[in-house]
Amino acid sequence: MALMLVAALGLNVLAQGRGAPPAGRAGGPPSARATAPFDPTGYWVAIISEDWRWRMVTPAKGDVVSIPLSAEGLRVAEAWDPAKDEAAGEQCRAYGAPGLMRGPIRLHITWQDDNTLKIESDYGQQTRLLRFTGAGGAGGAAEVGRASGAKTWQGVTSAQWVMAAGGGRGRGGARRGSIKSVTTQMRPGYLRKNGVPYSDRAVFTEYWDLHSETNGDQYLVDTNVVDDPVYLQTPWITSLHFKKEMDGSKWDPSTCDARF
Amino acid sequence: MKRAVLFALGLLAASVPARAQIELSGSYVPILYEDYIERGPGSDLGDFTGMPLTDEGRAKALLYTSNLPSTIERQCLAQAPWVLQYRPLGLRIWSEVDKDDRVSAWKIEGDYLRDTLTIWMDGRPEPSPNALSTAAGFSTGKWEGDTLTVHTTHVKTTWIRRGNGIPASDQTTYWVHLTRHDDLLTVVTIQEDPFYLSEPHVVSRVFKFDARANQGGRSICNTANEIPRLEDSGIVPHYLPGQNPEADFMTRTYNLPKEAALGYAESLYPEYRHKLKSVYTPPASCGRYCCGWIERQGLPGAAPGLSCNDGGLGELNPVVRSKQGDGEGKPAAPGKK
Repeated sequence: MALMLVAALGLNVLAQGRGAPPAGRAGGPPSARATAPFDPTGYWVAIISEDWRWRMVTPAKGDVVSIPLSAEGLRVAEAWDPAKDEAAGEQCRAYGAPGLMRGPIRLHITWQDDNTLKIESDYGQQTRLLRFTGAGGAGGAAEVGRASGAKTWQGVTSAQWVMAAGGGRGRGGARRGSIKSVTTQMRPGYLRKNGVPYSDRAVFTEYWDLHSETNGDQYLVDTNVVDDPVYLQTPWITSLHFKKEMDGSKWDPSTCDARF
Repeated sequence: MKRAVLFALGLLAASVPARAQIELSGSYVPILYEDYIERGPGSDLGDFTGMPLTDEGRAKALLYTSNLPSTIERQCLAQAPWVLQYRPLGLRIWSEVDKDDRVSAWKIEGDYLRDTLTIWMDGRPEPSPNALSTAAGFSTGKWEGDTLTVHTTHVKTTWIRRGNGIPASDQTTYWVHLTRHDDLLTVVTIQEDPFYLSEPHVVSRVFKFDARANQGGRSICNTANEIPRLEDSGIVPHYLPGQNPEADFMTRTYNLPKEAALGYAESLYPEYRHKLKSVYTPPASCGRYCCGWIERQGLPGAAPGLSCNDGGLGELNPVVRSKQGDGEGKPAAPGKK
């Protein structure tokens, strides 16, 4: 009897460790919102303590330092012409997901529904949707993207909770884990405001972690990888950190700007 | 039945990992895709962007000249324990276990300018505030899910960041989060300093697991007489307050307003762009480090047809120098093209 209990409970723990939440009362998987190991919602501000000169202002044309561009990528960067982007109505090229997240932004994160996390930015007034898939999620995001066919600045993002070892629950502790999200089907855009390009074949992978400090501060850390077979020699790997704000009092919407 | 259930629950508790939640041991390559100039060739003097300095911190940083660490007695000074966030060197991490095979400490190997870090996992208390400050400081750690959270105290007064004199006092403390996702290790440092920082200084970096274990390996720091005129002179190189000619380097080079580069906390937040918008215009062209990761022009593998200007850095490459020099691999004379 005891061994049967161990077997039953132990399997459940292992399953949680692989990211599968326990079954819901109705028999279906509980939602991503219900199984969230941390609360990502609220207002978050980017702390620009790294790459300041390339994130806070638009650097000189051709200033591509830090980014592992291919020769073709550098050629395109050297040909950057913001007037041309404006004339083509493409002022938002630097506001696609990989460029947006490195921008001087505030984020407002809410649950759009039980399986979709909505991330809005004041900078460029963009909206990203992280659709949780698999256990606790609705249909696959890639499926949604394929159905629509259209490429957008923010592309299509599928996400999943990755639970920490032991089902995300340490010995007597809180449930813990992180989000892994993958974004595809983006319109070609800029990694940097001065026209450093990524192509429509780029894949943007992010790992989101929450760190809560003893003084009450909370930081959302976004470790991310841009894979682009067209304009990058190797994946561009960076991390970003956002600090939680009490409210939206500093929310400062601005439109896409191709120059500043 | 009740005893059986209790027995079962006991076994279950024992089956849940309660020690290291994630294996951190191994070698990691630093990924220099952020702040490359600082972490590669070294920061520009007068570039305090991204720093929340107090007036005192800024004043001290502006006394700095790069001749200072060239003095014999400062060449091998240990730097801050978490200066690994700003340097181009890899990491080697391993654990040490006690007699019961429990991890008692995590170690991050030092290098020639950084002491080996010990992160105690055995629950030992922090030493008295009056205890000795050391180059590595005193660190304790605990697992929060798959993140190793570290608290570091008892450090020495050092420079932080890289190569431009930004100071950290011996009252500095750090909260650090090490999180591994697949083969990426993200290290977040939150530094507090009651003297030189006006608010916590937060930095996040990514390192990549190196299966070939080529990273780390402590080397020896040797001193040498780098500036002959300073030898046995007793001179401590410095600038007097208000006389640092590099205080406006970022203005001259990148068109940034002087205040924007001098490390005021307000400059770290998006709303600061309202102040910048009316006073900033990008430089007409890129003048330094502009070829990115493409081979420098004139070197094997260089891509034709690019106009990138690397500010002459390519000429420092031994292949280029041998072409421009006397043909025997010796460098060209200064100014010779």
